[in-house]
Amino acid sequence: MDKTTIICRCEEISCEEVEEVISNGGRTFDDVKRITRCGMGPCQAKICTSMVAEIIHQQTGLSPSEIPLPRMRMPLSPIKLETLGTNSTSFSAVKSVLDEVEIEEGKVR
Amino acid sequence: MHIEKHPVLSRQLLKPVTIYFNDQPYQAYTQQSVAAALMANGIKKLGVSRKLVQSRGLFCSRGRCCSCYMTIDGEDHVRSCMTEVEEGMRIYPNMDDPEVRREFDED
Amino acid sequence: MKTDVLIIGGGPAGLSAAIETASRGLDVTIVDEASKLGGQLNQQTQEMRPLPSVYEPMRGFELANKLIEQIKDFNVRPLLKHRVVGFYADGSAGITDEENVFPIKAKKIIVASGAAEKAVAFPKWTMPGIMTIGAAQILINRDFVLPGREAVIVGSSDFAMETAMQLMAVGTRVKAIIEKQSEASAKEQEKVSELLRNGIPFYFNSFIKEARGNGQVEQIDIEMPDEVITLNVDLICMDGGRMPILDVFYQLGCSFGFQEELGGWVPQYSNTFQTDREDVFIAGNAAGISTQGALLLTGMIAGISVSEELQTISPAEANEMREALWKELGLLEYKEVYSGRVKHLENFTSPVLKDQFIS
Repeated sequence: MDKTTIICRCEEISCEEVEEVISNGGRTFDDVKRITRCGMGPCQAKICTSMVAEIIHQQTGLSPSEIPLPRMRMPLSPIKLETLGTNSTSFSAVKSVLDEVEIEEGKVR
Repeated sequence: MHIEKHPVLSRQLLKPVTIYFNDQPYQAYTQQSVAAALMANGIKKLGVSRKLVQSRGLFCSRGRCCSCYMTIDGEDHVRSCMTEVEEGMRIYPNMDDPEVRREFDED
Repeated sequence: MKTDVLIIGGGPAGLSAAIETASRGLDVTIVDEASKLGGQLNQQTQEMRPLPSVYEPMRGFELANKLIEQIKDFNVRPLLKHRVVGFYADGSAGITDEENVFPIKAKKIIVASGAAEKAVAFPKWTMPGIMTIGAAQILINRDFVLPGREAVIVGSSDFAMETAMQLMAVGTRVKAIIEKQSEASAKEQEKVSELLRNGIPFYFNSFIKEARGNGQVEQIDIEMPDEVITLNVDLICMDGGRMPILDVFYQLGCSFGFQEELGGWVPQYSNTFQTDREDVFIAGNAAGISTQGALLLTGMIAGISVSEELQTISPAEANEMREALWKELGLLEYKEVYSGRVKHLENFTSPVLKDQFIS
């Protein structure tokens, strides 16, 4: 593949930049992401994951089953803060964050 | 180009609506996505990329790639492929990062 | 909101699962981000065959309408233009309608999140006028818009062949089919033959060297074994293959296995289509990329398994129905896909990837 070909459309990371991370020891999608910002744009790696996996496979010889999936965080697709911060009294965005955290005697455990 | 006579589907184009892109009026039909309606009018460039300032348009047409981001009725970063056209809609291309700071009226 | 069964994805598999659960008295909620149920069926005008014996061969959108008609008789709540944002610690799904986010607590969840199209990268592939074959199909059959006047297709799967025919039917001139392998990957040779009969050249062992244009694609160079040719096009439809959409399963903490024939990483599931999360079931393309008939069957199996778990049918009944459906699946599905699925099931207790989810 031509080195200048864009791999991550959102952050505009080229094949060359991905390959450089791998030459320096990167072996997973998340390695590439943390160094280059690949996969950190609005689509959150939906489009570039398989291409990066292919590059890792070609450059390292790792089989696809040895290249783990990237982290997939919520929200699963872009959402407005206004929508997350609902006015509902029975449910709110704050609760959704607190759900991830364990409270013991009024304090975070 | 709008497909006037679909070769298979018996349902044809529905109600015509007028949408505005860069303040210019264009013909669209209900149930079309904004990105599709603009393409029917020959508009394929829906914005530019953030870093290299390169043209962007419709890519996946199902709300995954975010390549079709546009400003629609005052809201920035709307996936135009997932938004259906409405009469009088005001659409602008996604040319740079939105202004986060805005003037607020005292309540 | 509380419901017995939450079905994520209202495509062929989700709708089949809805019919199997709701017809047995369960309260079913379907969440789909589109404005119409039916998923990919709505954009498909070609005839689907083979379909499970309960359906006669029909076109994609006809099947969608038939499935939608069937669920009208039962207690099914379709939440259209709603999507999953994430999950809460208590297992509720966070659903948004773009105005608010609210929880849906379900006894069982069937995730039929479908397939994602993979991209094919080449210099300047990010230009307007360059899209996936699915996008071109949606433009023609959902939006009634011509995606372009002069096109090339990259890739040669059955899906790509169908899209080429649909483009031709609305007046687009398909100038070439560019395939990087030495022969078409389409399983149905008649599709390739039909395109050849219409004068469309197939360029094998070839790929796009570069795309050029001012603000949108206007011209491409195709690298072939012996030469490089240049074509004027305003549309490139790429087929990079399809893979299961995994993010919902990831959020639910499901484990994954890798199976090339199923499209890559696939959530692990047993023969009941239950994942390794007790209340989470799987159906459709998310369980392995397959043909429409097979997707319907996976939805039916998942629906029956959930009905069994929620005690609206006996285990004996469920086993009998599942056995018949699995048998039909073995007959309907392509051999390689079915054997991939069987192998995938064998790895259920020893998945390659597990405990992935960190909030």
